[in-house]
Amino acid sequence: MVVLAATAKEVSDMTQRLQRNANPFSPEGTTANSLGREPQDGGYPQNPKPRRGDTMPCGGRVVSPLRSSVRFAQTRTWGLRPRLLHAAAPRLRDHSIALVIAMIGCLSSIPTASAARLDELSLERWAKLREVERYQLNIAEKYYRDKNYKVAVSEYEKFLTLYEGSEGAPYAQLKWSLCKIELRQQNTAIKEGFQSVIDYWPDSPEAVAAAYYIGRGYKDIGEVRKAKKAYQVVLDDHPKHLSAVYAVVDLIDITTIDDDVETRVKLWKRLTFDTERTRESTNHCVRASQQLATYSFERGLFNDGVKALETTYSDEQAVYQVSNHARGPVSRLVSKDETKNKGEQIADQGVAWIRQQIPTDRSTPEAKQAALNHWYYMADLQAAARREEKVAEIYDQALKAFGANDKTLQRLGDWYKSITKYDQARQQYAKFENKIEAQNQIAYSYRQQQNYEAAVQAYQRNVAADPDNQAKWSSEVANAYREARKYDQAIAIYNELMKTDSENADRWLWLMATSYRDGGKHKEAIGYYRQCNNFPSNYQEMAGCHRALKEYGEAVILYNQIVGGAPKTAPWAMLQIGYTNEQAGKKESAIKAFQQVCKNFPKDRYASQAHAHLQTKYKITVTLGGAKDE
Amino acid sequence: MEAEPHSLSIPSHRLRLTGAFGIVWAICLTNWMWIQLDWQVVTWCQAIVFAASLPISIAWIRWARSPKQRHPITLCIVLTIAFVFLWQLSVFSYDLAEWDIARTQLARVGTAALFFVGLAWIVWGVERASQQFESQRQAARAEMPIVLDPNTEAQAFDQATDQRSNHPLDPEAWYYGGHTPKLNQSVAALASYSIAFMLMFLVFTQMGGCRELYEMPAGGGQQQTISQTVKVQKVIKKKYVINPFSAISFKVPPIDEVKLQLTEITKHAYTVGYGQGAGAGFAGGTKQGQVRFIRLEYAGGDWDQDFGIGADVNMLIEYGVRTKQKVAKRTESRTIVQLKNFPAEKSPPMVYLTGQRNISLSDSEVKILREYLLEKHGMIFGDNGGSDGFHNQFVGMMNRVLPNVRPSRIPLDDMIHRVPFQIPFLPYVAPHGGKDALGWRVDGRLVCYYHPGDIGDAWTDDHSGVSPEIYEACYQLGTNVIFYAHAEYSKWLFSRQQRKK
Repeated sequence: MVVLAATAKEVSDMTQRLQRNANPFSPEGTTANSLGREPQDGGYPQNPKPRRGDTMPCGGRVVSPLRSSVRFAQTRTWGLRPRLLHAAAPRLRDHSIALVIAMIGCLSSIPTASAARLDELSLERWAKLREVERYQLNIAEKYYRDKNYKVAVSEYEKFLTLYEGSEGAPYAQLKWSLCKIELRQQNTAIKEGFQSVIDYWPDSPEAVAAAYYIGRGYKDIGEVRKAKKAYQVVLDDHPKHLSAVYAVVDLIDITTIDDDVETRVKLWKRLTFDTERTRESTNHCVRASQQLATYSFERGLFNDGVKALETTYSDEQAVYQVSNHARGPVSRLVSKDETKNKGEQIADQGVAWIRQQIPTDRSTPEAKQAALNHWYYMADLQAAARREEKVAEIYDQALKAFGANDKTLQRLGDWYKSITKYDQARQQYAKFENKIEAQNQIAYSYRQQQNYEAAVQAYQRNVAADPDNQAKWSSEVANAYREARKYDQAIAIYNELMKTDSENADRWLWLMATSYRDGGKHKEAIGYYRQCNNFPSNYQEMAGCHRALKEYGEAVILYNQIVGGAPKTAPWAMLQIGYTNEQAGKKESAIKAFQQVCKNFPKDRYASQAHAHLQTKYKITVTLGGAKDE
Repeated sequence: MEAEPHSLSIPSHRLRLTGAFGIVWAICLTNWMWIQLDWQVVTWCQAIVFAASLPISIAWIRWARSPKQRHPITLCIVLTIAFVFLWQLSVFSYDLAEWDIARTQLARVGTAALFFVGLAWIVWGVERASQQFESQRQAARAEMPIVLDPNTEAQAFDQATDQRSNHPLDPEAWYYGGHTPKLNQSVAALASYSIAFMLMFLVFTQMGGCRELYEMPAGGGQQQTISQTVKVQKVIKKKYVINPFSAISFKVPPIDEVKLQLTEITKHAYTVGYGQGAGAGFAGGTKQGQVRFIRLEYAGGDWDQDFGIGADVNMLIEYGVRTKQKVAKRTESRTIVQLKNFPAEKSPPMVYLTGQRNISLSDSEVKILREYLLEKHGMIFGDNGGSDGFHNQFVGMMNRVLPNVRPSRIPLDDMIHRVPFQIPFLPYVAPHGGKDALGWRVDGRLVCYYHPGDIGDAWTDDHSGVSPEIYEACYQLGTNVIFYAHAEYSKWLFSRQQRKK
């Protein structure tokens, strides 16, 4: 639970200081920092390990005695990043605005998924930093945000060297370690970073985060046993902390690798039933409850599954979720003879349970729809159990109880389609109140059956009946023609659309060009592609058409234009130059082009293709290229 | 073929000499194929013995072709035996010349040829035997008493012909049937011969009895990063004290002109190896032991990509130069099944697997690989030789071999990237399978190191044209992986020895 601990005055003082410090590169800060004038009046939290003169893990030295100040618990953090407040500071004018900001801070504690909450500095502790400290930390943070981790590492190191007694020191050490993780130096991060946070600042909030990150680091490098041990430490020492939630989530992942179902279920239960749901933990708990429910349904334990879902959902949402999460297991169980009975049993239990939940209130349209939804969920469950008669029966009951409406008919029609009964599906669509949508659904079902003539007829009925959306239905007719490989008819429609719907001319041009290309009329296709404005895609297509026409020189010119004008597509275009020269019989030019791909774009995946092609096709070992991943 | 009785007049001293030579040859062959004593004397002796088979074979062929002994069968027998000797000599020669691809091809072609030569002898033998049976039957019929009654004569004839034997070389044997006995006999002979040949082939190449040993070089050392020292030598130019009023004109140099001469020296501050022992090597190694580079053969793809054109052998040589450890003179290849031939504490600590197509493993091969990695403490050094398809193939293969281990990106500060050479980045020739090295860990040990970008191409003679910085880093990385595998193997041997004590 997030508790607002700072008073309005504190916030006001803070914001005033922030206003002064709005520019992290202010000359004041620079002078203070560069001259190192700040006295080392800060201290370390109680910790018997580090002594005066000890070398700090990142180059700093312990110089001051331990300070017995009260440490700030993680529950007292706002969860607001310092930089957010920092950015907002220039706009703050008085205390009342500051209070509003504080209120927003409270309101922002709506649950959201964010694994990065552990690496934040609370606003209270940020307020305790001196200006020079904030200045230095801001510089480091800036580089961290810009993902320039090498520089960020040295900036955090600088902070630790200059302000080792600062309130922000454990935070800087933690972020230093996270930079090392990003630089793929997990061992250094664990042994010299996170462990140092725990050793030197054991009571700081960062120590708890560091304990979790040690486990995470070990897991990422495949040291599963050490990871488990580290996570267990987090669970034992800080069972109520957010880190424990993350540790459980990671442990669940490990049990998946180990195929340890028993432990996995225990951990799911812990997250579902025993974990307090906060803004940061809710998502994990919800996911665990869903996984536990699916597992329970799979095992035939319907009530356990419902219980798990009821921790997260209520009323109609719960009914929907039960149906949704039971469908998969039911479908899997009935697909095998030996588990078919179990699957049908779950489906029956689910239907009976949903039937019990049907609300009796049908006074308003919303209440009526809510009740009707229950019938849909029952039908879905029976459909998963592959009981066609029961599905039809449920839809009949729904139609009798609530009358025919387009949504119910659409669902029924879709279900008929799913069991390949297209004619019955179309019978349902034909009953729609919205006749335009009815024809649309009928046409689409014909397209699914590859009966394009019938689809075209249905769409054309819409062209006549819905003049407001003529372009939409005409384009659907053209699409149906293209699927039927009747490109001339499709092109004629696109030509018409060019005149009637000039707003979307680019789109029709592209589709027309594509139709010409698919129809084998490459010259015409090139002409239309040339009129399109979506460089380099149109050039890519034009070059492809030239190659189909065996005009290799033209194709190479176009690819070269792509190389010059679209750097992101350049490796691909260069590779295509190689292939085009190869088709043209210019072996040496092709080899040169492939080597150019390797040499100029050694980190690109097309370099891999060029390299392999040179070796397999031409038996050339000197492919050039070579790079390093830093 | 018509059987012609003939007598062979082989001089007994020639036969005895050849027999003695055959025994020596068989011993040498056993050593060359399975025992593999790599002492120089043994190698020379082997070469002499195998080379001697050439003049001996020629002498026998000349003898068989001489007017005295001119007989086709004798010549065929001599040619067949000579073929075996000469084929073996050719394979041995290619092996000595380190033409690995040619050697492999010759071995395969020779096996096929041997099969057909054997088949020809089987056909000849069966035909000859059946003719003999037929002539015996004819003789029996001729000895039958003449009976005047045609019905009785027919009955007697039927009785004589119905006396079918059980002998497999007799086409009239009852189990060949009545319709097409000759054809059935030929099919049975072909099937029996094929099965027998396959079994013999398996016995010689794959199955038990072909025990192989891998021994690491004895010695010791520390598992540490090689330190680089820079020696700075100041060279102070000679200064002259000059009388400014001298009649001789001197160009006066600045007083403090000092030329710095920097010499970068990379010296081994320690011995590269692991454990207690003299010289670079590994505890648990033997005097004749050496680091070998073994490539793994697999079905479905091109395991032999760049094999025998310098890549592997360059790496092995570089490893020897950089670590001062004893290395084999040439690289080798083994099938997955052959890994089974290595006993637990004498198995290769690392095998190299590369290619760019498919990897197709049978369930038994998967089992052998799992046993090799987990029980024999081995390690696979995978290298993507040229496609993202191979990446998926390799990861899929490892998922089958180690289903409960998930691959992870190997950090740049991992032991394998630090010792003996510090590698601050991952070098690659082309990013076929991404830009990260993947590792499969069991109990903290890397049982598989997968390089995604064709490291083997950087080891070739032309280094694929990549920059010296990259291929140097590739050699260093290769050295690190080989060293890591051997050091971990050495630790394991040590711990097993401690447990035994």
